[in-house]
Amino acid sequence: MVRRAPAILLPVPVSMVAPPGMSESRPPDPLVRLGEEIDKARAERVRRQPVVGDRSVLQQGLGLGVRIGIELVVAVVVATGLGWAIDRWFGTRPWGMILLFFLGIAAGMLNVYRAVTGVSGPVGYRPPDAGAAASEGGRWDDEDC
Amino acid sequence: MAIEIRPLEQFTIERLIPFHIGGVDISYTNAAFLMTAAVVLITALILLGTRKHALIPGRWQSLAEMSYEFVADMVETNVGHGGREFFPFVFTLFMFILFANFLGLIPYSYTVTSQIIVTFALAAVVFIGVTIVGIVKHGFHFLRLFVPQGVPAVLLLLLVPIELLSYCIRPFTLSIRLFANMLAGHTMLAIFGGFAASIGLLGIFPLGINILLVALEVLVAALQAYVFAILTCLYLSDAINLH
Repeated sequence: MVRRAPAILLPVPVSMVAPPGMSESRPPDPLVRLGEEIDKARAERVRRQPVVGDRSVLQQGLGLGVRIGIELVVAVVVATGLGWAIDRWFGTRPWGMILLFFLGIAAGMLNVYRAVTGVSGPVGYRPPDAGAAASEGGRWDDEDC
Repeated sequence: MAIEIRPLEQFTIERLIPFHIGGVDISYTNAAFLMTAAVVLITALILLGTRKHALIPGRWQSLAEMSYEFVADMVETNVGHGGREFFPFVFTLFMFILFANFLGLIPYSYTVTSQIIVTFALAAVVFIGVTIVGIVKHGFHFLRLFVPQGVPAVLLLLLVPIELLSYCIRPFTLSIRLFANMLAGHTMLAIFGGFAASIGLLGIFPLGINILLVALEVLVAALQAYVFAILTCLYLSDAINLH
């Protein structure tokens, strides 16, 4: 049962990429030899397809595109719904709905902006290098110009 | 002659084993069955795949190892080293959604993730879990997540509600994204399938489109599981790597 798996699911097994006997000098330990062969085969493979990086970029781009599409819409809808509910509970119609509608637009834009610029998550989180750059002091003056 | 097209019929929940306790309907449904199937298949893949511990992995072992490495990489790059302890959670989440999506692509089966309650429950677990992790790790300091640094106090009155709102919206975007994608994709498949069945010989064109759509759905199934998992990682990263 284990043997009859469809072969499409898999990349080429390491043992097939580097058939034993390819290397001339043979270290005594078969495991060391195998390790060397795997390394060689991996290096070969990386050399043959230099587009590996592009693929992961494409994957990330796809993921990002799928993410931000819905972000704005849901933010506005959920915030407005929340405003409507607040109005019902506290009898403040229509102010809660109006206020939260605009807050929802702002929150949605914020989320999209952060997703696109790569600074994910709320303002509280800053990537370590950006925080260091901001605290240097001199940088702000440069940016103001 | 006329074939009735009911593209939404596929989302009907059927009770396989009716079961009521004190007026609460907890029947074993087709959705529950597909969830069970996903869990059983994932467990089987991991357990059988890693049974032999072969140095040169066989087919199943490399499948299990590849899924492990994929998620481990994702957690490592997005959460950092502090995220290792959350790897089991993210891995479970990713595999469950992936298998649920893929099982839903099998004809006559059922797409669990096309039910908003399922995706919302998953997203709520992520949301509540991340909030608890943040509070446990940082205590009261966790609330600084909503307070931007270096902003005048007047603006804080406006910015804090926006931050709070954008935080509270997370479970909704997370769940609606997955749910809407699966629902729309499967509805579209059913509509084009209905066209193909109802217009006779010309039906070969919608059939061709359907073949392409199935390929697209395979992509969407994997991509949505990936997006769900990576967003979970990013949210965890917010809670753990607080400034």
